[in-house]
Amino acid sequence: MNCADWEERIALYAGGDLAGVEAERVQRHLAECPGCQVFWSGLKETLEELRESHQMEIPAVHFSAVRAGVMAELRREHRTWRRLAWISGVGIAAALVLGLALRPGPLPAPPGRVAARIPAAPLVATVDDAAQTERRALAAADRPRPGAGRQPTLVKLQTADPKIVIYWIAD
Amino acid sequence: MATAAEGSFESEGQAKAHPSADLADFERLMRQHERLVLATALRLTGSMEDARDISQEVFLKLYRNLGKLTPPAIPSWLYRVTVNSCHDLTRKRRPETPVEFETGLVAAGADPQQTLTEDERRRALQLSLRMLGQKERTALVLRDLEGLPTEEVARILGSNEATVRSQISKARVKMRAFVERYLGRRS
Repeated sequence: MNCADWEERIALYAGGDLAGVEAERVQRHLAECPGCQVFWSGLKETLEELRESHQMEIPAVHFSAVRAGVMAELRREHRTWRRLAWISGVGIAAALVLGLALRPGPLPAPPGRVAARIPAAPLVATVDDAAQTERRALAAADRPRPGAGRQPTLVKLQTADPKIVIYWIAD
Repeated sequence: MATAAEGSFESEGQAKAHPSADLADFERLMRQHERLVLATALRLTGSMEDARDISQEVFLKLYRNLGKLTPPAIPSWLYRVTVNSCHDLTRKRRPETPVEFETGLVAAGADPQQTLTEDERRRALQLSLRMLGQKERTALVLRDLEGLPTEEVARILGSNEATVRSQISKARVKMRAFVERYLGRRS
């Protein structure tokens, strides 16, 4: 193994990245190779200088600028979210109010229900019943009555159908 | 154990989710980690302006991901996002000015008899970082300047330890060669 093959191991060793058997092998080579010793000490020196050169304090103004930029952006985002939430709330409320205001009135009863409630057809159709009623009325008029001389009561019955009107003559 | 200075993000064991995250608490969290992000970005980009832009971007991402992170995971996450942001910026930018060209400019403007100063050595070291490839530079910065263990560097870079060790050793060898060459020219 020539010295070029040792370079990367020495570089790891110089940075403290070798341990155990690997570190011992490098140490043995360094002990018997002056060229690699120079390389190793130069490398160590360079690494130390590199670390020192980056130990400089970053001026506080740069940190403040970063923080201010981030906080400004976050506050802007928060404002936008709040505005969107407010607009959404107002929109939903307006839609509810509009929906209540424009709600249609009670629906007309279904056809089946009307037919059941207004038995107009049987009343009209029963002409015989009407005649019978008239006859009864006439017969009653012929009978002697305790309250003779009183005028009969005329009852007018109206159905849901305006064309059908029922008159009822009662004593 | 969390200290009072660490703020409520640390003491809750789990970082707050985005909707309830309090901005004052987040600012305290930012103060705890701002050096990590800004210094890493500065070392990787070599430009304070870029480092500040990247830091802002990284902290905004942190705020949006707080609900997914536990406090102990935050530093590694910050390193990873900072490194990725720096790489993204490098990809967007045109290739960096060749180092040899910059070295030539410095040499031309300097007095050949001038003795080597600390500033010059520092400049050589800064340039040596710029001369490294992106992966080697990142591995070197995280290991030698941020002082992270190789295992952690590998985790941050999404790589394996052997690869990272190789990148670190190559970076050190190249850096040393560059500094010797640079200072040799200047002396």
